Amino acid sequence: MGILLPMVGSQGITPEGSVSLFGKTRQTLLALLYTRADQEHLQESLIQLAGLGRGTVQRELEFLARAGVVRRTVRGRQVYFQANPESPIFGELRGLVVKTAGVADALRAVLAPLAGRIRVAFVYGSVAQGTERRGSDLDVMVLGDVSFAEASEALAGAQGAIGREVNPTVYPPAEFRTKLAAKHHFLRSVLRAKKIFLIGDEHELARLAKK
Amino acid sequence: MSLRDWLRNSWLVEHETSPEEIAGLLAIVERDLANAKVAGLSEDWQLNIAYNAALQAATAALAAAGYRATREQHHYRTIQSLAYTVGWPPAAVGRFDRFRKKRNITGYETAGVISMAEAQEMYKLAEGLRDDVVSWLKKNHPKLLKS
Repeated sequence: MGILLPMVGSQGITPEGSVSLFGKTRQTLLALLYTRADQEHLQESLIQLAGLGRGTVQRELEFLARAGVVRRTVRGRQVYFQANPESPIFGELRGLVVKTAGVADALRAVLAPLAGRIRVAFVYGSVAQGTERRGSDLDVMVLGDVSFAEASEALAGAQGAIGREVNPTVYPPAEFRTKLAAKHHFLRSVLRAKKIFLIGDEHELARLAKK
Repeated sequence: MSLRDWLRNSWLVEHETSPEEIAGLLAIVERDLANAKVAGLSEDWQLNIAYNAALQAATAALAAAGYRATREQHHYRTIQSLAYTVGWPPAAVGRFDRFRKKRNITGYETAGVISMAEAQEMYKLAEGLRDDVVSWLKKNHPKLLKS
């Protein structure tokens, strides 16, 4: 039941100004493997999801396997990779990845069942701006035809993995447009501020705001 | 877990209620359900008032069961107690509690983080809870409704 979602890579994940612990390729692959650590991932799908060069991804996967943090399995003609639960740093590494690079992925995974009814969803506020503190909530804006109950219940499922309270605000598209047209202060400032897109992108958001 | 256990944990204190108190609490519920619909209110206030209606309904049920929540985490406990009074399923209790968190955040942060749709959703939850509490009282504590 692996969910194929586009990988946003290190953009958004490492907000400008904060130091990334790993290079882009390593970070991307660790995020893919360690936020869904219970699954085996086909090498081909990792290459596709990472959105990086095939050679780069293959080299990095081999490196991670040699380092013991990733398990490589060959079945038939397919090569699979999985986070290695026997690695002595498995728990620490998973925590590290989920709390940094994997946050967006963890949120996407829990929103996936509602994705058909969500036009745009993004993280805003301190986490998106890279100014979060230890106790900061994670603010998520959801634009679509879902209820607060549905969105908040789904997002609560990621709280444990993320280690932060997730605080959603849900706007049906029509209300969002009406309020923007009325120059609603909060929505306008959110639109201007930095975001980490979970569903949809800047273009879809602009379309939604105009129509 | 039961309300007895909660009492032992000092999350609740024993409370002797009366038909007058229950009538008073239910009157606040009705008043706030009406007030939340007053035209021109901001969404933040609509949600707040509807939330209060729901909280007072939960308080009435807890009082009828012979308890009230202590000061610490008062709202949280009162909401959670619905599982033991009117028998709300965990999903419903969780839904109410997430509105509590939402309301906490909006109290001191950005004005306007609540949408009209969310305020209306809180209102429906409060109405539904009012109905559940009243029918639970009718069935389990008819004497408290006699006034």
